[in-house]
Amino acid sequence: MTTAVSRVGDSRTAAAPARRLGRLQREGRAAYLFLSPALLFFCVFLILPFVFAIILAFSDWGGFDLGTLKWAGAANFRDVLSFNGTFVKPILVNTLLFAFGSVFLATFGSVLVAYCIDRLSFQGFWRVLYFLPVVATVVAIGNVWKMMYQPAGMINGVLNKLGVNSIGFLSDASYALPSVTVVQAWASIGGAVLILTAGLKAIPEMYYEAAEVDGANSWHMFWSITLPLLRPALLFVLITQFIGGLQSFALIIVMTGDGGPVNATNVAAFEMYQRAFKYGAWGTASAMAMVLFVIILAITLLQLWIARRRGEETS
Amino acid sequence: MRRRGGKFPWVAYLVVILGAVAMVMPFLDMVMSSFKGAGEYGVIPYKLLPSSFNLDNYREAFSQLELPRLFRNSVIVTVSVTVSVLVTSSMAGYALAKLRFRGRAVIFRFILATMMLPPFLLLIPTFLIMLNWPLAGGNDILGRGGDGGLTTSLVALILPFTVSGFGIFLMRQFMVSLPDEMLEAAKIDGANQWQTWRLIVLPQTKPVAITLGLITFIGTWNEYIWTLLISSSDPSLQTLPVGIQLLQSFLDPDRTMPIVMAGLVISTLPVLVVFLLFQKYYVRGVVLSGLK
Repeated sequence: MTTAVSRVGDSRTAAAPARRLGRLQREGRAAYLFLSPALLFFCVFLILPFVFAIILAFSDWGGFDLGTLKWAGAANFRDVLSFNGTFVKPILVNTLLFAFGSVFLATFGSVLVAYCIDRLSFQGFWRVLYFLPVVATVVAIGNVWKMMYQPAGMINGVLNKLGVNSIGFLSDASYALPSVTVVQAWASIGGAVLILTAGLKAIPEMYYEAAEVDGANSWHMFWSITLPLLRPALLFVLITQFIGGLQSFALIIVMTGDGGPVNATNVAAFEMYQRAFKYGAWGTASAMAMVLFVIILAITLLQLWIARRRGEETS
Repeated sequence: MRRRGGKFPWVAYLVVILGAVAMVMPFLDMVMSSFKGAGEYGVIPYKLLPSSFNLDNYREAFSQLELPRLFRNSVIVTVSVTVSVLVTSSMAGYALAKLRFRGRAVIFRFILATMMLPPFLLLIPTFLIMLNWPLAGGNDILGRGGDGGLTTSLVALILPFTVSGFGIFLMRQFMVSLPDEMLEAAKIDGANQWQTWRLIVLPQTKPVAITLGLITFIGTWNEYIWTLLISSSDPSLQTLPVGIQLLQSFLDPDRTMPIVMAGLVISTLPVLVVFLLFQKYYVRGVVLSGLK
């Protein structure tokens, strides 16, 4: 008696999972079909090149025939990281100065501008103006600034009017890197302003009202309400711009052509590009790419770690 | 705006206007220089305005730069990449958002991770892979023997950008919020997954598709390094930014710069118009990508 009952129950409970399993399998097959273009792409244009980049960094290869590729061990890295070469100093130092400098300027500028825009009318209009450089191609940006930096350009024109002698912004080795850094910062302020404005909008009005009741002035409010609550947006801006700054070299190609004068504006990613495509030194170039990649990874993890630790302390 | 202790809005106005001038002046200089005639550019003291607004530089740009060819290449590459990114992103996004299958979490995490690999790292190996692409440009099945592989056609400018990890992520985030009931109803009516995606899901994704399409369009139109690399041995593959940049290397700069500026005005205009028309969507995309 009980067996019959339980058998009925069994068959009912067994059928449903079977049907569900069938549906899941069908869904699974469909899902992989939908994903197949993307997965195939990532295999060919992401995983394969990534593995290839690692192999190249440890090999000695100057040609196009893979048969002539030789394992070189850590020789490329010894070469690249040797203090006698140019990669560590000045190129890697330039890279860090360029990235740090532009991120510092852009972050400082964008916090100031976003905070001010947030208090004005026609906010959309202002944001669009600041966003123009983000939409323009690096060729346009680089050439216009190159033109403005010339002795007969706009900036020296203004300086001359003020009684200051012309400055060789791009031709003088001591001014070249800061000059390019300013352009990188100028071009990235718009994107940062946008993200920071969104961050500002997310701060509840009541915090400011409460602070006002307590007699806080604008400065207090900025330091103890705006800045702490803006931190997630700020962190995102810092990390993405820093990663961008460390690897960008299109601006350098356009503005100084060869990273000159005498390596003054040469950065790691550009040196990698030159070594690979001008001299065919795939191994050395790939080792440079790896070194830069590890630096980017380390700095990103450090920033995330600092953010998390700070977050725990305050909350 | 009275909020946020706005007691001195004039200070805010001053900061924002000064900054805006710094943002706009270079573009103004670009436009003005594009009208400067012979002997007007590269002269001290600097003058912003040209003596007359003649169109000589624009005419020169059309003939010397072969603008129509550059323009055609730019359009082909940009449209192909944008369409492809939209299709592949919405397909993969649908699977990740609405279908249940083994390995979903792993694949989603993998796609997030793809955004971490910086492009410069893959530049050399990707170039070598394109060069040794099997059965392309005279290569045999092992990718040997030919001259150039895939790098001899516009395919080289399109293929490496056809899928975007960011695009998949954006689509997936949007599609998660679509109501399941709608999809269930379609299934009960006998639609298969393909039909559900094509007829029910796709039309709903219009807002996020416009956002992603714009970001991709602007990014591809302005792409420089990869195109420079691929077209270095075959100038017929140049797009607008690369063609305009390379004009300078073989002409007198004081004469060339105004022509270059005219070319840059022409190449910037399409992006600018598209951006201004759809800036609401573009801005949303930037903000979305910032807030995760």
